[in-house]
Amino acid sequence: MFDSDLVLSALRALTPILLAALGGALCERAGVFNIGLEGMMLMGCFTAVATSWFTGSPWLGVLAAALAAAAYSLILAVGAVTLKGDAVVLGVAMNLLAVGLTSFLLRTVFGVQGTFDDPDLLGLTEIAGFSPLTWLSWAAVGVAAVLLSRHAWGLRLRGVGEAPDAAATLGVSPTKYKYGAVLVSGVLCGLAGAQLALGNVTLFSENMTAGRGWIAVVAVMLGRALPLGVLLAALLFGLAEAAGFRLQGLGLPQQATDAAPYVVTLIALFLTTARRRRTTGASA
Amino acid sequence: MPRRSRSIQLAALAAGAALAMTGCNAAAKKDDSGGSAAKDAKAFTLVTPDPVGQNEFMKLAVSGVKAAAKAHGGGTPKVYQSSDTASQQQNLKAAVDSAPDVVVTVGFEFADAVAQQAEAHPKQQFLMVDACTTKTYQNVSCGVFREHEGVFLAGAEAGLLSKSGKVGAVDVLDTPQFRRYSDPFAAGAKHVAKKTSTATRFVGGQSPFDDSARAKEQAGSLISKGTDHVMAAAAAGNYGVFEAAKAKGAFAYGVDVNQCPAAPGTVVDNVVKRTDVAVEKGIGHILGGDAGKTVSYGLKEGGITLTGLEDGVASSKCVIARHEDVLKKIGELRDQIVAGKLKVDDPAAA
Repeated sequence: MFDSDLVLSALRALTPILLAALGGALCERAGVFNIGLEGMMLMGCFTAVATSWFTGSPWLGVLAAALAAAAYSLILAVGAVTLKGDAVVLGVAMNLLAVGLTSFLLRTVFGVQGTFDDPDLLGLTEIAGFSPLTWLSWAAVGVAAVLLSRHAWGLRLRGVGEAPDAAATLGVSPTKYKYGAVLVSGVLCGLAGAQLALGNVTLFSENMTAGRGWIAVVAVMLGRALPLGVLLAALLFGLAEAAGFRLQGLGLPQQATDAAPYVVTLIALFLTTARRRRTTGASA
Repeated sequence: MPRRSRSIQLAALAAGAALAMTGCNAAAKKDDSGGSAAKDAKAFTLVTPDPVGQNEFMKLAVSGVKAAAKAHGGGTPKVYQSSDTASQQQNLKAAVDSAPDVVVTVGFEFADAVAQQAEAHPKQQFLMVDACTTKTYQNVSCGVFREHEGVFLAGAEAGLLSKSGKVGAVDVLDTPQFRRYSDPFAAGAKHVAKKTSTATRFVGGQSPFDDSARAKEQAGSLISKGTDHVMAAAAAGNYGVFEAAKAKGAFAYGVDVNQCPAAPGTVVDNVVKRTDVAVEKGIGHILGGDAGKTVSYGLKEGGITLTGLEDGVASSKCVIARHEDVLKKIGELRDQIVAGKLKVDDPAAA
């Protein structure tokens, strides 16, 4: 069952999760707990499909998805940073609103319910075997890793997240950095949505993100909000999902293969916390 | 473009939202503005769970009510189109308030609401299509479908057309109700070509009805193993299955309505549910004094069919239109099932 098909399938599952999780990681570092990834991604899905359909250009669809999701992320930025609201409540609200809003728009803009699908809807063309957004997501991991660990912006962003008062006394505006992190996470989630709706498949259906945003939230935690850690965690989920399909082929019931990502999460959590406890124990 | 496959959602009945209905004590006030011309003209009201619009499934239900009205000398039937759970409840209540001879509902969404209204208004006759209340009521008649018979025929088509000798199905969940869309497909293929190997993948996951990306991957994993004909029974995921089949030059089968236009040249045929037949016959039973029963519709009653076996195949954009020899054999198989010579196993039979 371990063949090139499995790897390709896992990589296709990886891209949307990775893009969203990177956004979530940036927010985490800036001290904003972002669980609105799912909703932002869904907004991206719809905007990408609608824009590609009306302009005939999937590229404009990707651009519009990034902008729309960034605009949508302002709910979290204004609510959690400026108004000091609870980010968890806001995130849940954003996820619920996105499902309702996109279903409503689907009905008003396209006059259909459930799914919009048309043979004439243009999706993204692959570059060297992968969607351009897949390549972009890997580049984004590198950029985020370098920025966070080597660049002054990254240092300030982390400072804002860990000790906002200390950062403010040094002349760094926590508000500005937090807004920046949330908006960038919006852009990344918009790209994740565009990848899902114009890359993985070429259609929009209600609630099509189907929990990928939540998996991304878990990937942020599992990867400790480190870009490389997030990549590994997201890859783990991609592999678990792709392997799950194939386990069905070997006669495992669907209910059991459905559990694959969660079993993987538990094992990974167990292993990483065990290791961390050892290292903290040694340094103490 | 049809809404996500309705029959697939049927088994999600248990999850259907049951909003608190508070209007039970509202007396059924007789509405004189029924619009019926003749004095004893029969009045029928259809309540749909979704806007009718381009929804083929709902359009069929509307034409069923119209046909019934014509057959039984009724006035123009009223159609209340809902758009969400709240308007479904309101429309059903409004329909009951106007007290027509029969209130017709389509879909599992109405199961709980109809049960409540039927209890509060024992004199009002209800006809539920494609679903039924969990308890039986004297005034609620139901029309349900034997989907497995149609799926068996689709499987037979796949068996006859498959070049690789491998056919498969992408199903929503591994439950007996949903297996009606996958097990008979395999049985049908094996019936016409004994050596056919079959496989089924279930979408599963957090939202199995919406996840077209997952359905596409599942179909892709079947096709890369050599499967060249895939039954798509994955609700909204069907479009993902069609994409996977199209990309790799394989073929797919749709459900409920003619899904061939979604991927012309890829979709071979569809297992179609004739809601119009169930509505028209159901109303006939009620007016004939035979209310409170559940009637099942299959190939014999014309409630289940394939696009390929209906008129208008040529313009259906279905691949099967090019295979008249296959259609002839499928027609013979259907006749055998109708005559009771061939029995299709029902995975959902207890």
